[in-house]
Amino acid sequence: MSMEASELHDLSDDADYAASQQQGSASMMRCDSEKRSSSSEHEGAELIYLKDNVAIHPTQFASERISGRLKLTKQDSILFLSWIPYKGQTSNAKLSEKDRSLYTITAVPFTEVRSIRRHTPALGWQYVIVVLSSGLAFPPLYFYNGGVREFLALVKQHVYLARSGEDANVFLVNDFQSPLQRTLSSLELPSSLPVASGQSTYPLDGGSSSDSQGRTSAGVDNRVSQYVSRKQKSHDPTRDLSIHLLEKFSLVTKFARDTTTQLFSENNGFGSVDKRWNNQPVHSYSEKLTNIAEEKDNENHHSYPEKEHLNDEEINLVDVPADPLEFNKLSLVWGKPRQPPMGSKELTAFLDSEGRVVESKALRERVFYGGIEHQLRKEVWPFLLGYYAYDSTYAEREYLRSVKRMEYATLKQQWQSISPEQAKRFTKYRERKGLIDKDVVRTDRAFEYYEGDDNLNVNSMRDILLTYSFYNFDLGYCQGMSDYLSPILFVMGDESESFWCFVALMERLGPNFNRDQNGMHTQLFALSKLVELLDSPLHNYFKQNDCLNYFFCFRWILIQFKREFEYEKTMQLWEVLWTQYLTEHLHLYVCVAILKRCRSKIMGEQMDFDTLLKFINELSGHIDLDSTVRDAEALCICAGENGAASIPPGTPPSLPLDEGVLYPQDDDVL
Amino acid sequence: MLRWICWKSTVPVFIEQRYSLLFLVSSSSSGVGVSIRLSLRILISSPSMSYAYLFKYIIIGDTGVGKSCLLLQFTDKRFQPVHDLTIGVEFGARMITIDNKPIKLQIWDTAGQESFRSITRSYYRGAAGALLVYDITRRETFNHLASWLEDARQHANANMTIMLIGNKCDLAHRRAVSTEEGEQFAKEHGLIFMEASAKTAQNVEEAFIKTAATIYKKIQDGVFDVSNESYGIKVGYGGIPGPSGGRDGSTSQGGGCCG
Repeated sequence: MSMEASELHDLSDDADYAASQQQGSASMMRCDSEKRSSSSEHEGAELIYLKDNVAIHPTQFASERISGRLKLTKQDSILFLSWIPYKGQTSNAKLSEKDRSLYTITAVPFTEVRSIRRHTPALGWQYVIVVLSSGLAFPPLYFYNGGVREFLALVKQHVYLARSGEDANVFLVNDFQSPLQRTLSSLELPSSLPVASGQSTYPLDGGSSSDSQGRTSAGVDNRVSQYVSRKQKSHDPTRDLSIHLLEKFSLVTKFARDTTTQLFSENNGFGSVDKRWNNQPVHSYSEKLTNIAEEKDNENHHSYPEKEHLNDEEINLVDVPADPLEFNKLSLVWGKPRQPPMGSKELTAFLDSEGRVVESKALRERVFYGGIEHQLRKEVWPFLLGYYAYDSTYAEREYLRSVKRMEYATLKQQWQSISPEQAKRFTKYRERKGLIDKDVVRTDRAFEYYEGDDNLNVNSMRDILLTYSFYNFDLGYCQGMSDYLSPILFVMGDESESFWCFVALMERLGPNFNRDQNGMHTQLFALSKLVELLDSPLHNYFKQNDCLNYFFCFRWILIQFKREFEYEKTMQLWEVLWTQYLTEHLHLYVCVAILKRCRSKIMGEQMDFDTLLKFINELSGHIDLDSTVRDAEALCICAGENGAASIPPGTPPSLPLDEGVLYPQDDDVL
Repeated sequence: MLRWICWKSTVPVFIEQRYSLLFLVSSSSSGVGVSIRLSLRILISSPSMSYAYLFKYIIIGDTGVGKSCLLLQFTDKRFQPVHDLTIGVEFGARMITIDNKPIKLQIWDTAGQESFRSITRSYYRGAAGALLVYDITRRETFNHLASWLEDARQHANANMTIMLIGNKCDLAHRRAVSTEEGEQFAKEHGLIFMEASAKTAQNVEEAFIKTAATIYKKIQDGVFDVSNESYGIKVGYGGIPGPSGGRDGSTSQGGGCCG
């Protein structure tokens, strides 16, 4: 085994290879090479530890994994970490020797290591992430043969290793006081917000087995008490996130700095990385938005006195305040790349022999990062929506379906049995029926499943909505409901099953349709708080221009982007939102993500409320889903605990806080 | 879709998006100077693509009375019985000609359901004209006019021109509101009135244009301070007398009804 004594220490980002997904050697980082070269020579070092079959996964593809040997050596009482890829692995045809050597870790002294994060999932390989004091993180080192615990135990014998108070899986090497504080201050986030509601983010690690009852377990009392007093240190999801934040944020700044100093210049063998920047979906997305925006650009007379200067890429005549988060670079590093949709083999692996979802959190995570193959949606959506319990068996679900089928028939019978004579004396019923009749024929009729005259699916939609308006007479029917029902019916097929899935969805989103619009206003308010947190210049712009009501995001939130994406994409987005994996309110972060992509357009052109509303409306059909979700994830992680605190408890789709009056009534109206 | 460009630095003009797209699509940083010049040439040959004024309209009324269909008939000259219900607001735009002046109408088509009133109210701001629509075959949509009017009076500027439209006049056999009632209501509340059909296009053009003519007259009469955009009027380049307007060329102000 010979060492590649490369002077380049190329670090991809952490576990998730946010950027490296795109190309094999993407997202390289280069350490300060001069500094490192001094430590690359070390003769007479004592071998402390040697572990074979420790691998790096530069991409998702199994064929591109690089196996190697992990070593700990000691010289002059300093412990060094090395990882050397095996030479001449035939399976790695796609990666050249050069590529592989980029990942080589050559004798990094532990004096430069800040922390080691341990991941020991129940399923899959254990790995560690080594984070340097400089903030850079090496890519995860996967221990194919296990032994992470032993590795750490050995490290501990030679260096001072302290388990982080914030996260039991993080071991601090060069201890410093408060990672959380440091992280947040480096983000310059306002810290005046109250302590977060822990309930709005799901724990990332640990406690997964107790999660089996799914999101319905998010009890109201529990939530309130957590909101009021929350000082539990163990399994605090936001703290966990903040460690992520720490690992990643420093990476971001370094990333940004290095990129601008031509790290990826052509003559250093990183040509492919350059290309990646151009092909990056996030990048092209923003370009695309700029293009649409330019196409839409009009009407805005006074801000363009001299349009002859149009040739600038950015036609911003006004100085646009910089994005405090450097968002463009952020999501490259933070949001995980999307995976292909979950297939049936994968789904089966989540089920035990009797059909229970063993690790509901793992399932939700999987769906969060890639969605579901269409033919499986029928099976998975009822779980995500809360209609099926994760710990139910095949038999129990079969039984549930039959019981619910009868219950649905009974409910449906209630309005079906209304005679014309009775209907004459039942204005509310007539009005509702009239409204529903009018709307179902105006819902997705261009979509094959609902097109044509006398379409039976349209009839089913009408029956379900009318039945729902009896099931939940207080809420009744409101426009937008049919937009939610349409994909559900398309996926579930069966009328009763669709009804109960719809009921489950409305348990959370019903407040969107409250007569007083309270649910909508709460969400729009939370959105404004999130923008304030994540992009204060943009927030100030909205404030100055009387746009703080965020009505321009009304349609986005009311029907969760149903009108902004094509049908299939909407279903993909919804199942991601429904996992409630990182937060119950990912949709709000999606709003922020889109707004941030347009921020320079909005502020540069000095859009007023009308122009902004029109601009946002016309983004429909031009938003790239994958990069937007990725941005949203990045923003959610970035906002962390402060983000969660910006969203008042009970904000839909959180379950309502007060079970008393679910749907405030207004007697004047229908 | 229009693109704002500047002509000789002093005369602001709009040209239609399809032209600008044609020439600006290759606007790399080096090629734009040329493309601008090309655009200008198009401009010179088609002065009718510019406008003297832009009026903001808002279409309001109960759900299902045909607001979106009226808009589509006006902007696209077609009737689409199958279309998605409106959530929030949709936009349309068209050029018309009044007094030989090209005028652009930017039309906001709102959702009609009661629940969304609080949102809809925010759209009144800065509207120069409103089309208040009811369905002549559904009495209740007529009965709700007063509450719509109250919203409009409360949230729009006082000089907003309101056109009352009794839609679906092609369905005379199902009529539930007489023409006289419509006329009476309009008279009482100082509205312009027309019955129309988005399906047959009857009076659709006329309704939009007559509203614009009324607004235009108010400008001529000095009712508006056109430099104040809260009146829903934006001034274009003002002076060039276009030959025949945009794609309609119609200045007819036909009123009446089809009852």
